[in-house]
Amino acid sequence: MFYQTPLRTAVLLLFTLACIYAAFTAEYFGVEILTEIIILAMIVLALDLVAGFGGMVSLCHGALAGVGAYIFAIFTAKLGLHPLLAMGIAALITGAVSWVIGTICSKTHGIYFIMATLAFGQMAYSFVFESSYLGGDNGMAGIPRLDLSMIGIDLFDSKQFALLCLACLLVAYLFAWRILTSGLGRSLVGIMHNEKRSRALGQNVVQIKAQVFALSGLILGLAGSLSAQHIMFISPNLLSWTHSGEALVIVILGGLGTLIGPIIGAAAFVLLKHEVSNYTDHWHLIVGIILIIVVMAGARGIYGEIEHRIAKRCAKRVQKEQAPKQAKEKTKEHSLSHAGLKKEH
Amino acid sequence: MDISFWILQLLNALQLSMLLFLLSVGLTVIFGLMHFVNLAHGALYALGAYIAASVAASMGYWAGVLVAPFAVAVLGLILYQFLIKRMRSSGPMAQVLVTFGLIFALLDITRLIWGDLALALDVPELLAGRVSIGGIEYPVYRFFVMAVGLVALVVLHLMLTKTQLGAMIRAGVDNDKMAACLGINVERLFFLVFCVGCALAGLAGAVAAPLLSVVPEMGVDILIPTLIVIVIGGLGSLKGAIVGSLIYGFVQTFGAVFAPQLASVMIYVLLALVLVMRPSGLFPAKGG
Repeated sequence: MFYQTPLRTAVLLLFTLACIYAAFTAEYFGVEILTEIIILAMIVLALDLVAGFGGMVSLCHGALAGVGAYIFAIFTAKLGLHPLLAMGIAALITGAVSWVIGTICSKTHGIYFIMATLAFGQMAYSFVFESSYLGGDNGMAGIPRLDLSMIGIDLFDSKQFALLCLACLLVAYLFAWRILTSGLGRSLVGIMHNEKRSRALGQNVVQIKAQVFALSGLILGLAGSLSAQHIMFISPNLLSWTHSGEALVIVILGGLGTLIGPIIGAAAFVLLKHEVSNYTDHWHLIVGIILIIVVMAGARGIYGEIEHRIAKRCAKRVQKEQAPKQAKEKTKEHSLSHAGLKKEH
Repeated sequence: MDISFWILQLLNALQLSMLLFLLSVGLTVIFGLMHFVNLAHGALYALGAYIAASVAASMGYWAGVLVAPFAVAVLGLILYQFLIKRMRSSGPMAQVLVTFGLIFALLDITRLIWGDLALALDVPELLAGRVSIGGIEYPVYRFFVMAVGLVALVVLHLMLTKTQLGAMIRAGVDNDKMAACLGINVERLFFLVFCVGCALAGLAGAVAAPLLSVVPEMGVDILIPTLIVIVIGGLGSLKGAIVGSLIYGFVQTFGAVFAPQLASVMIYVLLALVLVMRPSGLFPAKGG
């Protein structure tokens, strides 16, 4: 069950402040990394929504974000639509695609669900790869950025673009929060814990799963259109399954089912990647080993581990506070009974 | 398009199917018996190709083909003892993630050892050259690949159906707890099957090496087709692995002839259809 605990709010605020600070102080390259982190955070947030609260371990979330990017590119670079409108359309179509995938895949469970989502992700990848209209292997260039010069924002300035992405991430977080505290979200968690019981209670399990999958797709569509605007170029590589796998890795590294954890995970992942790449080409070896260790250690992830430790400490403190109280009460009872005894005598 | 063209396509499809069969059979039996999803299977295949290529460079092709399966089986043994044994009881997500981590790690380890450049493995003299069938010339080596797949199929089939070990494995796939109750050492069975599966992956890599160039990414590239094969065929069954391989090989090859644009999309559509209509594949190991 999802609760927006004070700790989570604090971490989110801290993250936001850190991003704003970084946007104003970092060099050009640093701001580019910041934008990369924020867009990736949106994707993993969407993945955590379905994987952490619905048990739907999707291996097509990276591909769905890629679909969003391509739809944005088609409507702007090919059809010349206004970027703002195209962003909305990208989110909606990606949401609709996700709904279809969710409906089909929700009937399967466990490893079959993972394989089914992988199949759909790869389907999208091959389609884009083979399509000459979409540029095939070469990808598409010349994607415009949103023009907000009317309200004095210049998105070609990387700092302002990063801040726009941050705003979108916060909106996405609030959106996910709202979903998870609604009846739909609560039902989803119920299905994750016991699908048979939810069905017995009369819930349409497949529909609930598909709906949350679709809502997660909305976030992905938005994230995809932002990433298309960020690089202003897209290639089928965006949809490759290793990206979806990486998103899953980040969710685990950050903390599955915490919503804020994956955001922290995205930041840690991208920063680590750039740090390690400075020293060695073998960044994958390191992330692979870290991943194995994290999963074998119980898969709580960075934020999950922090939350777990704090919860444990709080539990200890409560026990300590209660212990002397109980002892006092015991002695009271004791003395009372003594008094009683004395009276009897 | 005359008849020889179709024979050529047929042979190509068969050859692809047999290569995929070698890979998928190990993966599918491991899954069927242990319910373990080993995404690193493709990485083991790549390792097999590398080992075969480097051994062959100094000692000749046949030594490479013989050494590679053993070396990969030894690696499988190490992985099993240190990693997979502990992951057995965890959910599919943890397994997928750990083996995903293994893919990353093994990919970079091959890069560290052998570098980024592609290695080549020459076809041995015995298998060089071409034979002509029905008006076309076809490389002998490709027939050899088909033969290896076919031999593996026959040997595995006989072992599974005729020997006591095969009966034990089948019992383990069907109901491992019951098999353990009947006095079968299921743990040892798992271990054995895992090593044989790895050896087959190594063999597939060694056999495929002369056909393809040996690059670090070859394991990642082959993984998805292998997964498609076992999901279409049904996890855990030999029959599923061979039928799935044939379906994949033929759809891919003939799809490329009839609709080049849609060939690769078609196989995923087929996979999605199978998953929707028969979520456990065409020939699942367990009834149902």
